[in-house]
Amino acid sequence: MSWQSGIAKNITFIVTKDCQLACKYCYLVGKNEKERMSWDIARAAIDYIISHEKDPIFAYESVIFDFIGGEPFLEINLIDKICDYLKTEMFRRNHHWFNSYRFSFSTNGINYDSEKVQRFIKKNHEHLSIGITIDGTEKKHDLNRIYKNSEHGSYNDVARNIPLWIKQFPDGGTKVTISSPDIPYICDSVLHLYGLGIHQVNINCVFEDVWKEGDDKLFEEQLMQLADAIIDGGYYQDYACSFFSEHIGKPLDAKLENQNWCGAGRMLSIDAAGNFYPCTRFAGYSLRSKKPIIIGNVRDGIDKNKLRPFLTLDRTTQSPKECVDCEVASGCAWCQGENYDAADTNTFYQRATAICKMHKARVRANNYYWNKLYRKLELEGEREEFEKHRLRLSEANNKREVKPEIC
Amino acid sequence: MLQYLIILLDRTSTSFCHYNLTPSPSDPPTPFRGRERSRELISLETLRQGIRFGMMENLMIQYVYPDCELPAEYAEVIESIDHSKIKSLPLTPPKEGRTDTDVWVTESIKDIKAEVPVVWRTDKQNLFDSEADIIKALENVPRLNVVLTDVESFTDEDFAAYKSLLEKLSKAIEQMYVNGKAPQLNLLTDRMMLQKMNNCGAGDTTITLAPNGKFYVCPAFYYEDEKDSVGDLEHGLDIKNKQLYKLEYAPICRHCDAYQCKRCVWLNRKMTLEVNTPSHEQCVLAHLERNASRELLLNIRKHGKFLPEQEEIKEIDYLDPFDRRDTWQ
Repeated sequence: MSWQSGIAKNITFIVTKDCQLACKYCYLVGKNEKERMSWDIARAAIDYIISHEKDPIFAYESVIFDFIGGEPFLEINLIDKICDYLKTEMFRRNHHWFNSYRFSFSTNGINYDSEKVQRFIKKNHEHLSIGITIDGTEKKHDLNRIYKNSEHGSYNDVARNIPLWIKQFPDGGTKVTISSPDIPYICDSVLHLYGLGIHQVNINCVFEDVWKEGDDKLFEEQLMQLADAIIDGGYYQDYACSFFSEHIGKPLDAKLENQNWCGAGRMLSIDAAGNFYPCTRFAGYSLRSKKPIIIGNVRDGIDKNKLRPFLTLDRTTQSPKECVDCEVASGCAWCQGENYDAADTNTFYQRATAICKMHKARVRANNYYWNKLYRKLELEGEREEFEKHRLRLSEANNKREVKPEIC
Repeated sequence: MLQYLIILLDRTSTSFCHYNLTPSPSDPPTPFRGRERSRELISLETLRQGIRFGMMENLMIQYVYPDCELPAEYAEVIESIDHSKIKSLPLTPPKEGRTDTDVWVTESIKDIKAEVPVVWRTDKQNLFDSEADIIKALENVPRLNVVLTDVESFTDEDFAAYKSLLEKLSKAIEQMYVNGKAPQLNLLTDRMMLQKMNNCGAGDTTITLAPNGKFYVCPAFYYEDEKDSVGDLEHGLDIKNKQLYKLEYAPICRHCDAYQCKRCVWLNRKMTLEVNTPSHEQCVLAHLERNASRELLLNIRKHGKFLPEQEEIKEIDYLDPFDRRDTWQ
């Protein structure tokens, strides 16, 4: 659950398309060193956004300003200037967001300890959400997260910054991405991250069609091992792994539970050219085979007609019959951008289903997890206490500043 | 389910709908930008194959003619199957319907007379200035279909002008009914007669065959980009994501009761980038028509029994169903 989930507007500045890394699973196919956001574009975007406080598009109680790349902290000078300007303008215009805003970052963590980044953190700490991406064990991490133009893994350069990050953000969570080659390392990796002091591990399988025959079985086995380790090791008390949730794996009512999963269209992304996107995944550098979907720009504003299909999109309209009728549908995620990129036509109304067998494997392991955990708690007479503790954790999570599981 | 096959007899076949044969400067880039359409007559063999396809699929064929004469040998092939003919109304007098034409298309309705339905393609300003001509035309044609060619440019001021025009036309039509006539104007009389959506149907009930032997969702898709085909005569139809052309896969439209709306999938794609999602402008125009039709129905009924089997059109407080999306389940 992210900060002010559902009542916060997500506004993303794509400050650079450059990154020190070239992760093998990265969906950003068009990264480059040239497209860096200028201050003029950033300021024009802020002026547009802040001056449209009453517009329904921005009529949210709170706001999360996301900074992404590439690697956002490569542009720390610009980010610092943007954040100062945002604060000043929100205050000067008496904007209601001044009382409820966050600056959010998902970083590879490599220059987390740099002087400039640390100075920025100290200056804005109260309003910061920072997630460092570390994929697990050194082996698992370095399998994918390698430096560009080399096969050199980045684990050591990230792991050295984890203690500082945990100290500054004790509730910080990490986001782990699973692709086909990563499956054998899932269990060890989650336990490794717990060992580093990270209490919230958010994991998701990539949505792209990368899965091989038998991956679902391997995935299931890894999750079963992980379930045993978490329960037998007592980690369930204070640690969380997003793979296990009581809310997944149930049928969904076609009418009453028809919401779209993805927030595309409710979010707003801005790139270096000053173009607006319904989500970063619709920017050109994210798309393998489709043209970007641009919904406006900092000069002309937002073309609301182009937002209409996003804001009226529901689950059943975009899903094939097998998904609508699926008995384990709840928790099966999708990415609107990947749906668009993989679709047979230029539509995002065609749900990509590459993740289907992985979701079903997750559901089986998840059922095992909860059956095993509840039996253990009942036998030990601790179930009631566990429920109370979980409620407290859940409330704390609502305030916690972690990135959403998906995206 | 497919019911109609539109056959464009030539690349310069007349437009009978929202699209222009030559893109306007505001249109997105296309392979044809900046140049007039050159003629490309459908070959006799393609025409024969198209007719054969229509027969095998049980489709009603509609031929769309160019302004020029067709070679004599085409007549026999064209007449080999039951069909409708859509032609451009000649500008020179007499402006009267010919017996072999089923629908006339025109860009001027001044002093028009015809024995068959007329499609009038017009921009908004011409429409707003043509109240008297429309009323006169309704006396002289069995049906007038108004097609706006600049829906995307409507502003709030234009919506107000449109509403005002519909109110005036409604009064005139009411009087015609009182006088025992039954004029048909798509903008006002269709909704009174309908009990469910009756839209264009491109990609769902209707498909288009172009002179190049390829199928398109509708003529506009062909004119916008010839590469945007959905099959050909050799391999048959291949409409990807064809469900998106159906009403039940259109989240806004399936909650709507502006049954007379064209629901133009080409305009949808042009303005919202999705074929199943109408623009704000298309929705507001359709609702202004719907609401004016409601008033017309109520007013005609004040004079006596009229369409007793039709339910009253409900009063609503919105013009764009998109604004009501939070109430949908």
